[in-house]
Amino acid sequence: MIAAMSGPALMFSAVTQDDSLKALAAGLRRRDPKLIDRLIEQHQYRLFRYLVYLTASRERAEDFFQETWIRVMERGHQYDGESRFETWLFSIARHLVIDWQRQRKMQSLDSLLEPESGTRAEFADAASPSPLNLILTSEEATAVQSSLERLPIIHREVLLLRFQEDLPLSEIGRVLGVPLATVKSRLYRGLEGLRALITGQAI
Amino acid sequence: MNGEAIHSRAEQLIGQEFVEGISESDRRWLEEHLRECEKCAAAAASTDRALRALKGVSVQVPAGLAEKTKFRVHLRAQERTFAEPRRGILWIACAASWTFGAITAPFVWRALHWVGDQMALPRLVPELGFGLWWALPAIVAGAIILAENAKFERQRDGLRQQHWDAE
Repeated sequence: MIAAMSGPALMFSAVTQDDSLKALAAGLRRRDPKLIDRLIEQHQYRLFRYLVYLTASRERAEDFFQETWIRVMERGHQYDGESRFETWLFSIARHLVIDWQRQRKMQSLDSLLEPESGTRAEFADAASPSPLNLILTSEEATAVQSSLERLPIIHREVLLLRFQEDLPLSEIGRVLGVPLATVKSRLYRGLEGLRALITGQAI
Repeated sequence: MNGEAIHSRAEQLIGQEFVEGISESDRRWLEEHLRECEKCAAAAASTDRALRALKGVSVQVPAGLAEKTKFRVHLRAQERTFAEPRRGILWIACAASWTFGAITAPFVWRALHWVGDQMALPRLVPELGFGLWWALPAIVAGAIILAENAKFERQRDGLRQQHWDAE
């Protein structure tokens, strides 16, 4: 579709998108309640899905969902309108989860999840064997989720941001606060891991 | 390129195609290789299946989550508005008023006593008037804060009521 757009049309689209992001930033600075309500409606599915995968717990995802929007309202002035709104939104959600992890384990998400160390983040409670099963709807999804659960979270989240949220690599880098090369390397490893796990399960 | 290197390049290109895209010439090479190599074709197919499955996964958003969230956000916004309102302006106005009062106090004191003498009032009356004149900014500030408190409580109750009605 983008390829079908001519140069000026593409430029116009970029300009209007730019303007709407600036307007969004101005609205967030004002803490415009109607704007925030609209954003909650628009982004509820994507944010909740991201949090479910990140925390592997429905209850926690709900809590973080609400906390994320409160943070959006409180820190709306920090959104500069330069990047996509969802990039900023996901980055807030991610930081809340990291803070919670730090409080819980006094360790950072990344250090917990270094694939090289062979450790894996245990976001879900040990008592709940497969909490994502309660949330995911399709049967095939169950196979994917069990594979995802076995992936280190740093690989899992780049796969989600790239292939579910369709974020460009540069925006993923902004969400995670890592360089582009790191995003790519995590994606390659994640993809490799997911493929190996899913092939093993033969969807 | 030996056999192992060819498979390794194909594998790398398969991943690259999904992650960041590949050039036209690489795509042509890969397609040709996949037609000939079953192992790499299977790897490409499994990667494609894995990503399709990942994209196809849907999550059920809990009913009422958005409404609950909006309610909490509104409530917090009101608390913040209350916690950081035009209080600054109020305190600046009070400080200005007290400064002005301190400068003009001797004149006001004399003026009140002159009025008291003219009207033959007991000494206590102009003294009480002087005290009241000093306390006036604090009384006004206190009244504004109490009114704001009451307004905030009413708004919060109204919001809670709306939320419960909606539920």
